[in-house]
Amino acid sequence: MALDRKIAYIDLTTGEIEIKPIPLQLRKKYLGGRGLDAYLLYNHTKKGCDPLGPGNALLVSGGILCATLASATARTHFMAKSPLTGLLGSTNMGGFFAPELAWAGFHHLVIKGKAEKPVYLWINNGKIEVRDAAALWGKTTTDTQWAIRKELNDEEIKSAVIGPAGENLVRFANVMTGIKNAGGRSGIGAVMGSKNLKAIAVRGTMDVKIAHPIEALEYNKKFIDQIVSSKVNQTQGILGTPFIWGATNSWGGIRTRNFQYNQCEYADDIEPERIDEIAEETMGPYHMVSCFACQVHCRAQYKIPSGPYAGKYDEGPEYTSQGAFGAEPDCKNAETVLVGNHLVDQYGMDNLETGSLISWAMELYELGIIGSKETDGLDLRFGNDEALIEMIHRICFRKSFIGDALADGGIPASKKIGKKSFDYLIQVKGMSNLHSDERATPSLALGIATGSRGSDHLRSRPAIDLYHLPEDVLRKIYGSPVPYDGPLSPDHTSYEGKAWMVFWQENCYMGVDCLGICKYHTLFLGATHPNFEDWPKVLYLNTGLEMTPKEIWEIAERSYNIERLFNLREGLKRDDLEKGDTLNHRYFDEPCLRGAPDVIGAKIDREKFEKMIDEYYVHHGWDENGVPTAETLKRLGIDEEPSHLL
Amino acid sequence: MSENEKKLSGAESLRKTRTYGKFRCHNPSCMGRMQPAAGQKTIKCPACNMEFRMAWVKPDFPRIRGPVWNVNREIAEKVRADKGAVPPTSKKEKK
Repeated sequence: MALDRKIAYIDLTTGEIEIKPIPLQLRKKYLGGRGLDAYLLYNHTKKGCDPLGPGNALLVSGGILCATLASATARTHFMAKSPLTGLLGSTNMGGFFAPELAWAGFHHLVIKGKAEKPVYLWINNGKIEVRDAAALWGKTTTDTQWAIRKELNDEEIKSAVIGPAGENLVRFANVMTGIKNAGGRSGIGAVMGSKNLKAIAVRGTMDVKIAHPIEALEYNKKFIDQIVSSKVNQTQGILGTPFIWGATNSWGGIRTRNFQYNQCEYADDIEPERIDEIAEETMGPYHMVSCFACQVHCRAQYKIPSGPYAGKYDEGPEYTSQGAFGAEPDCKNAETVLVGNHLVDQYGMDNLETGSLISWAMELYELGIIGSKETDGLDLRFGNDEALIEMIHRICFRKSFIGDALADGGIPASKKIGKKSFDYLIQVKGMSNLHSDERATPSLALGIATGSRGSDHLRSRPAIDLYHLPEDVLRKIYGSPVPYDGPLSPDHTSYEGKAWMVFWQENCYMGVDCLGICKYHTLFLGATHPNFEDWPKVLYLNTGLEMTPKEIWEIAERSYNIERLFNLREGLKRDDLEKGDTLNHRYFDEPCLRGAPDVIGAKIDREKFEKMIDEYYVHHGWDENGVPTAETLKRLGIDEEPSHLL
Repeated sequence: MSENEKKLSGAESLRKTRTYGKFRCHNPSCMGRMQPAAGQKTIKCPACNMEFRMAWVKPDFPRIRGPVWNVNREIAEKVRADKGAVPPTSKKEKK
């Protein structure tokens, strides 16, 4: 039974390992994955702990549906205090790791302490061993995984690893599995590096019993049909996530030259259709692959077609790499995007943070805030492809002033650079924004401002706000499972009802993160994708756990509030430009200059934005400072946290 | 996929709104529905005059690849002038 998967506590300082069952009481409150990790983080870290110290807790998990018969339940979740933001660190990656972990007997790991020398964990059918990783230290992410397979003589081993960036404590280092499945954004790779933990290797052949297997299979057919028949997923299955570029760069939603423009003009060479051509030319017609149990297969395989890296194999690039190594630095060559993507995959470094920070540095260079002294002679102007690639190396290995400064993240770098550099840094809570430009879409702006792990498009983004769906359709979606009869505007430029849309999406994304389902299988890019009403039965048939849509909503809300409590404990304040629910002044002061007619001139209205934040807090049951009220905590049953039940 | 087998969930019931062979204008304030002829390479929105380059996911599955850049720039320059928005320093950029 999925519910009998265990939790393991590993102390890398002492080598002690303890294995426990997960109480049903906590499953009913948090399900698993991100929700239960949030509970564990709040309970297993102390206020103000050093994110790169032994007191930080590294949590690894699969969702409650992981390794069952449910579709797209491949997601592995990691959580810790973030070395990038000093707040919640949380990341979620696809691939095959979490199902293998479940077959090895575990859904959750709590890793604390620090090993004396480099080690890796070997988890095999209920047993956990700490092994020497001296021979692995210094290797790239792919080489590390193959070296572990060779050492343990099993090519089916799945590993979550760090590369040189994690070892060098780059504060946005990733944990990686496979070639490009990345646990990115909040620097979990650096947390692993700080613990001298190079990898977690798993192999499992233990059955996961399904509560009602025949019915679960039958029911899953409906899910698959709903997913594969959608236009969004059919397109994604051919072009991968870069397919989004067609729409966003048409209307003017792509951050270009850091934040100077909102459209990357004449960038045909980095459009998804061109990237697809390269993938087909270098890998053949069947170059799309998938994560565990997924029918969308949105991951392209490619080889770099030309230049110094010609012939190197990688996967992706995701939509995020198009922006990070294309639009933001204004480098419009496919080869550059593919090389940049390859390097961050192999180094284990967040593509989005890397590209954003380099683009920020490029703007500072063109403004004269930094010069050749800071760049050690590098001509760091926009559109310089070679400088972009050079900066990726420098950040990973902390070379030169600018490479070392950026490796610590934007806010620490702005303090080292000084002058007015912070004003140009496009970040929320210390985390750089996606390459999307939200000035024309207040709902998206609210989402990045309030995301629990910092600026983020995967915590609450109501992407369908751009579809201009009729109000009755929006009410059907956003009026369930909790009734909502407030304002709800189909106009993407409106501020009406957007706070509710963001609140709803927050709970929806938290729901899939607790279940372990990929976001492309819920209401993110496709308005007809499964959500709350569709989940209870798949949960029941696979695990035997009976819940209503509203109960799953409450679990999501509870989990989100635990994350909020953690962030408040670590210093979040509403209007704090470094740790608050707000945006860089450029969102309010600089209008969009490109794109569709109604997008040109658009910027966020500060007064309306603040009102939206107020509404968002009210929906949550938080006070005007964004602090959950005593009533809210009691309603959600978290008024006595930390409760140390696990 | 709803709990009640006789009743469609919200996601299922919205499935009838899907349209194949058509797409919407990528001007978010327009969203006009367009249906190109097979193999068509560019398309102009009859409602807002934005013009797009097209790609075909499958022979019967069109999508917008991106704007026709010269037209896009002309429209943008006119709108910027009308709105008095600051012109971009596009001379510095690569095409």
